[in-house]
Amino acid sequence: MARRLKAGERRASILAVAKVLFADRGYHGVSVDEIAGRLGVSPAVLYRHFDSKEALYEAALTEIAGQRESYVEAVLSGPDDFGSVLLRMTRVYADSVARDPDYVRMEMQGMLEGAAAAQQFFDSRWKGFTDFIEISMGELASEGAIGQVDARTASLMFQGVVREALYAKCILNSPRHRDIRLDDLIEQLVGLFLNAIGYRRP
Amino acid sequence: MSQFDQELDARGLNCPLPILRAKKAIASLDAGKVLRITATDPGSVKDFEAFCKQTGNELLASHEAGGEYEFLIRRH
Repeated sequence: MARRLKAGERRASILAVAKVLFADRGYHGVSVDEIAGRLGVSPAVLYRHFDSKEALYEAALTEIAGQRESYVEAVLSGPDDFGSVLLRMTRVYADSVARDPDYVRMEMQGMLEGAAAAQQFFDSRWKGFTDFIEISMGELASEGAIGQVDARTASLMFQGVVREALYAKCILNSPRHRDIRLDDLIEQLVGLFLNAIGYRRP
Repeated sequence: MSQFDQELDARGLNCPLPILRAKKAIASLDAGKVLRITATDPGSVKDFEAFCKQTGNELLASHEAGGEYEFLIRRH
């Protein structure tokens, strides 16, 4: 006989299944019955942990939106000039998304759901990049190590470029980019970004 | 009052900037000297634990009060 899950384990298992289904089909494309069916339990079990389908969706969205990468290893594992750190950070992030593409799908869903979810994704995933780029570019500009580029616009460009690459490689599996490894694509895109801002390696 | 030799204000910064700045600040200290870091990113607690583990520097203190985090790190 299967072991009965503790409340925390059951909640986590519900969230894990809900995350995959919501990421694939969005809030309206998934029913509570289907989630319960995947788990092999009755819908009543789900309602013991979540008041409604909406509450379950919000919990799944919040959990995935709050995931945050640590870039400690990226900082410590090589040269600490701006371009080198940015490349290693971006690789860490891309690897994380490649391992769990549901994150990107939920980010896309979150964008459609409204500003609060989009802000949560931005704060936990992109703000580290945008702050790093904008603050570093301010310092580099004062040293004459980059061209005359608006840092905020540049960080927006970077975010767009990386996000698009992740969509192409991890979600769409686009035939146009099938022949290039994600890691190599990221390296090329970071290189293009650094050229665009006139970055001169120290 | 904590005893330290150099201070780094990383408030308002998100990973990786506090780590990057701490790395540079620690490198400028002599062995045995202490760096005090203040931060506001909740993720900095785990980040500085990992930082010390990987660099071999000693995390002397790590605490939070009112949404601000303080870390004392001794250079090895």
